[in-house]
Amino acid sequence: MTEDLHHLAAAYALNALDEIERREFEAHYPTCAVCSAEVADYRETAGLLAASVATPPPADLKARLMGEIADTRQIASIVPERVVDLAERKRRNQPRQRVLALAAAAVVAAVGFVGGLQFTRSGNDVDVLVAADAITLPLAGDAGRARVVWSAEEDRAVLIAAGLDDPGEGNAYELWLIDSDGANPTGLFTPDVDGSVTIELPLDGREPAAWGITIEPDTGSDQPSEPILLIGETV
Amino acid sequence: MGDMKPMGRLRSVGGRTSRSTEPVDEAAILAGILSRAGRGDQAAFGELYDATSALVHGIVLKVVRDPSQAEEITQEVFVEIWRLAPRYESDRGSVKSWIATIAHRRAVDRVRSEQSHRNRTEVVGRLVERDHDSVSEVVLDRLDRTRVIAALDLLTDDQRAAVELAYFGGHTYREVAVLLGAAEGTVKGRIRDGLIKLRDHLGVNQ
Repeated sequence: MTEDLHHLAAAYALNALDEIERREFEAHYPTCAVCSAEVADYRETAGLLAASVATPPPADLKARLMGEIADTRQIASIVPERVVDLAERKRRNQPRQRVLALAAAAVVAAVGFVGGLQFTRSGNDVDVLVAADAITLPLAGDAGRARVVWSAEEDRAVLIAAGLDDPGEGNAYELWLIDSDGANPTGLFTPDVDGSVTIELPLDGREPAAWGITIEPDTGSDQPSEPILLIGETV
Repeated sequence: MGDMKPMGRLRSVGGRTSRSTEPVDEAAILAGILSRAGRGDQAAFGELYDATSALVHGIVLKVVRDPSQAEEITQEVFVEIWRLAPRYESDRGSVKSWIATIAHRRAVDRVRSEQSHRNRTEVVGRLVERDHDSVSEVVLDRLDRTRVIAALDLLTDDQRAAVELAYFGGHTYREVAVLLGAAEGTVKGRIRDGLIKLRDHLGVNQ
């Protein structure tokens, strides 16, 4: 099946997969550097096919559209502007395929998350974990594994992570809540000697669009530094 | 043949890996405009619309074929682009391909949900014909158009039919296999080989 999936990039880029295959391929390709690069190239190619049949719409469409977007809210960006700039800088210093895979991995949050994390059933965090409106989001990336559970009702979030390296002398991990205002520092932490950590933190009424983890000086930062080690986006 | 001259010049200057400086600048300008639109700048969004509305409307019209539906979907696509603009990431592809992906997807969703299979198979004969003259004239996209037509001519008839039925016809490769009376795996291969040929010839090489 996996071998088959590798051959679906072209049909996928043309939207020529049926629903089931499309979902299978979308679960696969962000983790596959070859498929990610192929999808990007084939989409550029498809874009040129589209351009070859370009036809202006009726002139009055623009006025109607501009009226409609004036009343349409935009979604929160996954990462704040500064992080995009950093990602851009990082891209120039790295082979493209790797960045592609990382960027894609950041979007498909379910990727590569292996079980083995234990909820800590002690302290207040259990209230969040069992809240009726609790949302669980795995964070994906190239450092350990983590999951954030939060509840708007409880107005609190719990981060559960494992497999994290020592952040280094004078450094700490920082968790970022990303919402329509950008990235908000939400908590500094250092993992236990076994690389695991569970922390609870307030949401302060914020509505998370995404969560990210970086390494910062142990005094904390206003904005995340590169690289974003782990990130997960709400759908 | 007059149309072919820019193509020849472009190839000799740009080679396989770059497409002359003009489109590169255009891509960067579009990325800047989209980035401003993504921060809520409606005037920038208006510029984006001016630069890409023919692209969106053209591919939507090609897939759904009905002008009034195409207009409606074009509007939906741009509302979607406005909504999603903050999430566009330049390292995942050009603005044009991002927009074309959204437009094509929306058009395909519409034909797959609304039109009966039979309605759509009636036009197969027309779609696989090589009627270059039906391709619309749009000055801004003329270079793209010329290059694509030249590149499509390099495909075998089988590859071309599979790519066009899938992309312009909005069919899944399984549907294309039925339409062409070929095995699914064969059609999948033709689509792939055809796209690789187009990609290589059009200098899409990242």
